[in-house]
This record gives sequence, C-alpha cells and structure tokens, in this order.
Amino acid sequence: MFRHMLIGALTRQRGRMFMIAMTMALGASISTAMLGVMMDVGDKVNQELKSYGANLMVVPKGAALLGDLYGVEDGLGVTDKYLAEDELPKLKSIFWAFNIVDFAPYLETSVSVSGPSGTEQCKLVGTWFDKHLDTPTGESLNTGMVRMKSWWDVKGNWANDDEASGGAVSGMIGANLASKLGVAPGGKVSIPANNGGDVMIMGVFQSGGAEDDSLFVPLSFVQRISDRPGAVSRIEVSALTTPENDLARRAAQDPNSLSRHEWDTWYCTAYISSIAYQIEEVITNARAKPVLQVAESEGAILQKTQLLMLLLTILSLACSALAISNLVTASVMERSAEIGLLKAVGASSTEVSVLIMTEIMITALSGGVVGYFAGRGFAQIIGHTVFGSSIAARGLVIPLVALLVFVVTLAGSLPAIRMLLSLRPAEVLHGR
Amino acid sequence: MFMKMLVSSLIRRRSRMLAALCAIAIGATVLLGMAAISYDIPRQMGREFRSYGANMVLVASGEDALLKLEDSDRAAEVIPEKSLVGMTPYRYEIVRINMQGYTAAGTDFDQARRTSPYWNVSGAWPKEENDILIGSDIAEFTRLAPGSAINITGRASDGARFRRDMTVSGIVRTGSVEDEFIFMRLDTLDALMGNSGVAEVVEVSIAADEDELNALAAAISNHAPGVSPRLVKRVTQSETTVLSKLQSLVFLVSLIVLVLTMICVATTMMTVVMERRKEIGLKKAIGADNRSIAAEFLGEGMLLGVMGGILGTVLGYFFAQAVSMNVFGRGVILDWRLMPATVLVSVAVTVAACLWPVKRAADVEPALVLRGE
Repeated sequence: MFRHMLIGALTRQRGRMFMIAMTMALGASISTAMLGVMMDVGDKVNQELKSYGANLMVVPKGAALLGDLYGVEDGLGVTDKYLAEDELPKLKSIFWAFNIVDFAPYLETSVSVSGPSGTEQCKLVGTWFDKHLDTPTGESLNTGMVRMKSWWDVKGNWANDDEASGGAVSGMIGANLASKLGVAPGGKVSIPANNGGDVMIMGVFQSGGAEDDSLFVPLSFVQRISDRPGAVSRIEVSALTTPENDLARRAAQDPNSLSRHEWDTWYCTAYISSIAYQIEEVITNARAKPVLQVAESEGAILQKTQLLMLLLTILSLACSALAISNLVTASVMERSAEIGLLKAVGASSTEVSVLIMTEIMITALSGGVVGYFAGRGFAQIIGHTVFGSSIAARGLVIPLVALLVFVVTLAGSLPAIRMLLSLRPAEVLHGR
Repeated sequence: MFMKMLVSSLIRRRSRMLAALCAIAIGATVLLGMAAISYDIPRQMGREFRSYGANMVLVASGEDALLKLEDSDRAAEVIPEKSLVGMTPYRYEIVRINMQGYTAAGTDFDQARRTSPYWNVSGAWPKEENDILIGSDIAEFTRLAPGSAINITGRASDGARFRRDMTVSGIVRTGSVEDEFIFMRLDTLDALMGNSGVAEVVEVSIAADEDELNALAAAISNHAPGVSPRLVKRVTQSETTVLSKLQSLVFLVSLIVLVLTMICVATTMMTVVMERRKEIGLKKAIGADNRSIAAEFLGEGMLLGVMGGILGTVLGYFFAQAVSMNVFGRGVILDWRLMPATVLVSVAVTVAACLWPVKRAADVEPALVLRGE
C-alpha cells in the first residue's frame, strides 16, 4: 500500500518532483565541481608555479657555487668536485620520485667562441635539452631544460641533445652574445679549443638574466671539450612540494633533532627539505639546497590560494543549500490540500510525514546522482578553461556530496512538514 | 493608494517578507563580496608574488660597469610610491678573510628585507656599522657562527690596503648565489673602499603586472638616462601567467555562486507570490485588473530589491573585508562603481524572479481560487 501510494505520488506529480530533482541536481553538481576543484587547486597551482623554475639545486658536497651572477672572476671558490652524470636517473627512485617534475644537469666552462662578426670569451654551458631517460625503476621519461625554462623567450627552436655528424652539435645562444657574435637562428659558430668544433645555432633566447651572455650546448660536448667525462657540476630539480610548516623548518635546520615519530612524518611528507634529504641519499657526495626564493614563495602563494578556494567553496555550498531548502519548503507547502485529505481518511501524522519524506528523499537522491556526474563534467570544464588540464576525480567527494544532499533535503523539508501536520483537515479541505 | 497597499502588504506579512528580504540581502552580499574580491585579486595576489623578490634590476647604461646612486634616485621618482615595495642597492667588492677571497656586498638591509623576503637569516640582521651577514656556504667553510669576530682586509679603490675588525651578526641562507657572499652596510663598504655613491645593481620590487613594468622601464630610461632598467623575466613572465589563471578561476567560481544565489532569490520570490493566490483572487473579484495586480507585485519586488540590495552592499563590503583580512592579511580596495551596480542587479533579479509567478497568478480565476479549488 505504502509503495503503491509512493509510486502514485511520484508519477502523478511529475512536474513538481522534476523541479525538486533539478534543483537538487544543480546544487549537487556545483558542490561536486567546487569540492573537486578545491581539492585539486593545490596541485594545479603548484604545477603553474613550476614556471618559476627549479626549487632545488644539487651541488657536490663542499663545493661552493661559483658566484658567476655578478661577474666574479673564474677561479674564486671553484673546486674540482663533480657529480656523476650516470647517477641522475636515480633521482626518479627516491620516495617522492613522483613529485620530481623535471631536472637538468649543468656543466660549465669558459671558452672563446668565434662567429661571423668577431670572437668573444664566453661561458659555455652543457646541459640536457630534452633528454630521454630510462630509470632503474623501469620508467621512461623525457626531461631537461625545455620544460624548466618556460619563461625564456626563444627565437628559432630549442636545441636537441644529439651530436650531429661531422662533430657539429646543436646549441642555443643568449641574445646578448648572439648580437656580439652576429649570429641568428640557423647560423653557425665555432669553438677553436681542443676537441672543439662547430655549433649549429638552433635558437636565440632572452632570459633577462646572466644566461643571456652564454652559449648552451649538449652536456657531452662540454664534457669532451673540458676533458671531464661523466662530470656534472650542478643539477637543477623542479619538484612539487607541500608548503613548509614548523616541523619542516626544524627538520631543515637539523633532521637529527626530530623524534622517531616526527622523523617518519617528515620523511613521508613532500616537504622541500625531505625531498632534498632523499636526493642526498641517492646521489653520491651531493648536497641538495632548496632555492628559498622559489620554495618559500610557492608555499605562501599555495596557502593563500587554498584558503581562498576553501572560503569560496563553503560559500557556494551554503548558497546551494539555501536554494534547495527554499524550493523544497515551497513545494511541500503547496500540497496542503492533499495532506488534509490523507488525514481526513485516517492517516496518522507519522504515516503522512514518512510518506512525504520518502518521496522527497527519492527525488532528491536521484537528482543528486545526476548532479554528481554533471558536476564531474563541470569540474573538467573549469580545469580545462583555467589550467588546461583535467581535474582528478576524488573518492572523498562522493560521501561529502551525499551527506550534503541528505542534510539539505531534511533541513529543507522539516519546517514545511511540521506546518502541514498542524493543519486541520476540515479547514484545509474547505479551503480556508 | 498604491503606496499604501504596498507598504501595508510588506508590514502585514512581516515574516514572509523578512525571509525574502534576507534572501535578497544574502544574494547581494555575495554578489558584491565576490565582485570586490575577484576585482582585487591581481593586486592582492600580486603583493604575495612580490615574495619572489625583485622583478626589475637597474644597471648602468652604456659601457659603465657602475651605476651612480643619484641616477637610481632619479629613477625612483618615476615609480609610483604606492606600488614600490622595495629598492635595494648592491655594491660588490672583493675582500679577504684569513687571506681567502670572498665577494662582499654592501646593501641597505631594511630595503633588502623588503625586496628579498625569502632570505632566511639565523642570528640577527646587522644593525651596527661593523656587523656583517655571511652566506651559509661561507659559514660552513670557515666554521663561523653568529657572534664570531673576524678580520676583514682588502684594497681600497685608490690601492691602499685596509683592515677592519667586524662581527658576524647572522648567517643568511637562500639556496642560491647569496650563500657565498658577505653582506655589510653600504656605508661601511663605502668607508672601506674610500668612495661612495656607486653600486653594481639596484634591485627593485614593484607591485605591477608585466605591461605596467614595461611602461615603467621605458619611463625610467627616459627620465634617468644613466640607468638601464631590465625586467627579471623569470619573475615577471611567470607572475603574469599564474595570476591570470588564478583570476579566471576566482571569476568562474564567483559566477557559479552568483547564479546559485539568483536561483535562491527566485525560488523565494516564487514562494511568496504563490502563497498569495487567494489574495489575488479576492482583488480580482472586487475589480482589480491584471495590470494593477502585476504592478503591485512588481512594485513590491522592486522595493524588496532596493532594500535588500542596499543592505547587501553594506554587508558585502564587510564580507569582502573579512575574507581579504583572513586570506591576505590586508584590507580590500572597493571600486565604488560596484555599489550601485549591486543594487541594480538585485532589483533586476528580484523583479525578474517575480515575473513568471505573477503572470501565473494573474491568470487565476477568482471564483475558483476563492472557493479553494
């Protein structure tokens, strides 16, 4: 009998139930989309912030970096310590390997380069442009400078790592040096040093920094020319990290000061200091230094963005809850005559409320399911318009949305039901 | 008569109307708050992005290696004071500690803290004339700690030797080149070198986007010919991409919330009108025509919209202020044009939400409604 009445009510009032279901679907889809975007916004913004370049610098232990930025002479503080190139794939075998986005090795030397309009003493930098790697874990990936220097303004093309036939390699030249040497993309410069050769200029770049005065070539070429086979002087690593907190700051000072439990927490969280620590574990004689300019700022911006999104999500959830409960209240109230009739033929208050609640719950839940899938699509639209990549679907969203639908429906229908129950059948039916 | 009916209907049905007013006010609050925040995001986030450090460096133009500080002061006149975060001169010289050569940088520490907020200093920032800050690589190599006394020697610009006892007040760690520098006050370095008024570079941190920076750079080279301003591409370009994405994200989200609040207002208004079918029937029965009924409801909607809109504008300002204080720790700057716009939109939404139910209400047959069928 109950089922019969339920089905009857649902089919007879198709229009009204459809309206409730639609509102519910709208609310649920917005909640799903907002929750999905909110949970993913950290990763997405983190990816965007990768355009600021490497946040970790790996150098040989004990070697002070050459203060080349401001033109300090060669020879000051330079040591003959190097990292081994064949250890680089190990970066992808650390605990947080998945968070290592890109990395590129560098080896520098000073050479004289001659071009069409003169000869200049300049810095020759060997690196990976877009190198294919097979890691010990069986993964294969491409990494190198192409992805790490996205802010470079390149005329022509990026160079590649292959050494062309006849000893000529492809390379890229900084804009300042290019104008001094008088070369353009497609041109050629030569390096007369030992084992030197010609460099095909694939592209001219402008970085706005000290690199504008140097020549970039494949790593193996510099290793050969400076007679340092297999050597790398530094590695730039770009990693996705979690914003720092107190624990991470203490660990960065001295990892040994942590208790066993704290140490486990720290090691298994993607703090920049723990990733640095893990890199030092796998690369012999290495020191990994967080580049604070990038690391600290990333943390600050990430936190602000997440907080902002959290506030906006709460706001939109509250708004959809308000809209839904309003509509539910309105549609229940409209049915006063029907409820009066039910009561007149002997239905108890409990029976009436159970019937109405079940009806609304079924409608709301079916709306919620539709809304959930619509919301997934919605999140993808936001992801693609804003970040150009899709938003990951997270399991946690489903129970949250289900709970929201349930609570909102209940809260929306309760006051209306209470009012209906206090109606007197005779008065309602008579139309007063 | 019209006004009297309007006012009395608002007063008589106090609780219903209060609910509707609440819905409209909440809608307007959200509307103004979100608009203010997404409007203000580039400025607020731009300030956050300044933690990446200088986005413009001033160097000497032409063949000169050294920049005259009077030229950079002239350049500073062009930069609007409001958007200037910090301006730090750096002068680099070679000094020796225990016969080992290091690069010493003379700077203004107050400004350096503003342009490079990411510097991690253990110990204290230098205050006295003879206080210095050493990079963490040097500290590791020489085993100096905050409080250590050191002896600095070198050659002044005229070739004479100098020697001075100094105190390490702190150790700076940045993970890049600063780790191998010694920092001291610019006037101290000037006194040691015997000349003053020059620097290698002046780092400038300006809260502005890439286009504004390009315009500023052009203005600076016009106004101060001795200075050649260069944008730090890594910082400016990345900031522009990230900021524009963030803004479009907040904008999209605001739009969604806005649509939701409109639906909320509309459903409330529909309920209000639906409940009054009987009243409409009565009015029609005693001779009101459809137009006057529609006019009454729309007038009510408009009144509610204006009241809710004004209330929401005030609340929305506080709402935006609260969000901004919580997230960014700074107040929000409100464009005054948003205020009348908010009131207008709330009136429009409320009236639009009334249209459909009013049309349906106007179609009722008085006799049927009054009889209760």
